[in-house]
Amino acid sequence: MRIAAGVDVGSTQTKAVLIGANGDGVKVLSRSLIDTGANVRKAAEKAFDECCQAAGIAQADVGFVVGTGYGRYNISFGHTQMTEISCHARGAHFLCPGTRTVIDMGGQDAKAIGVGPSGEVLDFVMNDKCAAGTGRFLANAAEVMGIGLDDIGPLSLRATRPVKIATVCTVFVESDILSYLSQGKKPEDIMGGVHLAIAKRTMSLARRVNIEPLVTMTGGVARNIGMVRALETVLGQKIIVTPDAQFMGAVGAALFSLEKLGESFESSVWREHAVSSRD
Amino acid sequence: MPLVAGIDCGSGFTKALVAAQDAPGSDLRILGRGRARSGINVDQAAEEALEQALVGNTRSDLSYIAATGFGRYNLSFRDIAITEITTAARGAFFLFPRAGAVLDIGSQTTRAIAVKDNGRVNTFKSNDKCAAGSGMFIARAAKYLEVPLEQVGELSLHAAHAHPISSVCAVLAESEIINHVSSGVSVEDILRGIHDSLADRAGALLKRVGLKDELTFIGGVAHQWGMVRALEQRLNVKVNVAEDCEYVCALGAAVLGLRRLASRN
Repeated sequence: MRIAAGVDVGSTQTKAVLIGANGDGVKVLSRSLIDTGANVRKAAEKAFDECCQAAGIAQADVGFVVGTGYGRYNISFGHTQMTEISCHARGAHFLCPGTRTVIDMGGQDAKAIGVGPSGEVLDFVMNDKCAAGTGRFLANAAEVMGIGLDDIGPLSLRATRPVKIATVCTVFVESDILSYLSQGKKPEDIMGGVHLAIAKRTMSLARRVNIEPLVTMTGGVARNIGMVRALETVLGQKIIVTPDAQFMGAVGAALFSLEKLGESFESSVWREHAVSSRD
Repeated sequence: MPLVAGIDCGSGFTKALVAAQDAPGSDLRILGRGRARSGINVDQAAEEALEQALVGNTRSDLSYIAATGFGRYNLSFRDIAITEITTAARGAFFLFPRAGAVLDIGSQTTRAIAVKDNGRVNTFKSNDKCAAGSGMFIARAAKYLEVPLEQVGELSLHAAHAHPISSVCAVLAESEIINHVSSGVSVEDILRGIHDSLADRAGALLKRVGLKDELTFIGGVAHQWGMVRALEQRLNVKVNVAEDCEYVCALGAAVLGLRRLASRN
């Protein structure tokens, strides 16, 4: 079995994935997730180490490592680097066959990627100048509300009368939230309004690429069910989210690694095994 | 001798200024100023600020109250509400009649205003959708750097080599600032880099309204000398700063209030 790795060093969290290929096909062997913190190089090493341990595989047996994400050039052990845009497109094409648009909402940026029929990048737009639509925004909102980050999405789904949020600036929304709280608005209605505002903002960014179905969401924010639903509402169509959404960049990087190992395969075989591996 | 008050209900602070006109046709004489945190009750903050500004007079002595600023329509005891753009231009013109442009950096808004030679607004551009370039950007940076906001201007003035900051977003800048700190850049150099970046953003707004050789800088951020220096150097203009730079809109409101009173009588 040939083994390949992808390490996605994000601004907030670092993800590593190992995949293995034999005559039958390809499957995800293990995943790891750690906070990136201040030392990017160490984070990458630790994520890779944990991922190998989880699969019970020695690091030396990993044939090829591709680094991606904003900290990809700090990966000491990587063989090469790819942009996270290519990796998310590739990963989504593999895990969610038929993906033609990727919406990636990460810790500090938001992207929309147009994906071609064989997983190639056709077009992309990126918001890295402003925290709106990023995990950072949601973490800030959760903190102001005094609610855990994992709880704000489910809470927002219970909104009956979502409040109006005029700006999506992370800083200004803080004062909006505080003033709604002081007016006695319900936390779910406040969070419902916040999620809707961010969904609108993200979709107006995403519409700059040609949005074609299937639309797949990737990145850490995909864990927030309230955000997924709000995006679906604004977009008017279903959005695919896999349990590996947060690992999509690392999965894509690992697939590129496997290609570097000279593994040749039919994409249908890949998909079949990969999909079954996460079920 | 009519007494008039201008009250600027800003998003961060409420500022009140009380002035008198000693003789018909003469200029205003400023009697007092007062300031209170705006909070959520505009009337309450305004009463507190006005109380200080009245310096011994009572509210019933006031002939006219002109409200301006973000919360002006929520001030129940106003005679008139005037936009802060008009009052900023008028107040700056009262203090520095030669300056053709006004830059107002408050806690949530940055505005560039071109002023005609009669003190009226020619045109303006404003950034109020996001905290980039606002006082809030500096306030948050000061928080990450653990520096009291009052010391920011002085520290920035003593920078040896301004360290540029590339993030536009006040929130994303946090990571950048933390990286600078951990790589050993001095607090002074970081703060000056922030002031330079804000000066560049303000410069872009000012150029859109038309900036000549003289600028009046108002709003709370004008207290920060590092910011004033950054504007002078990056934009190559003379920068006027009034001692009471936070009260310029309140002053403009008082000037216009007095004029309105005179035309009513």
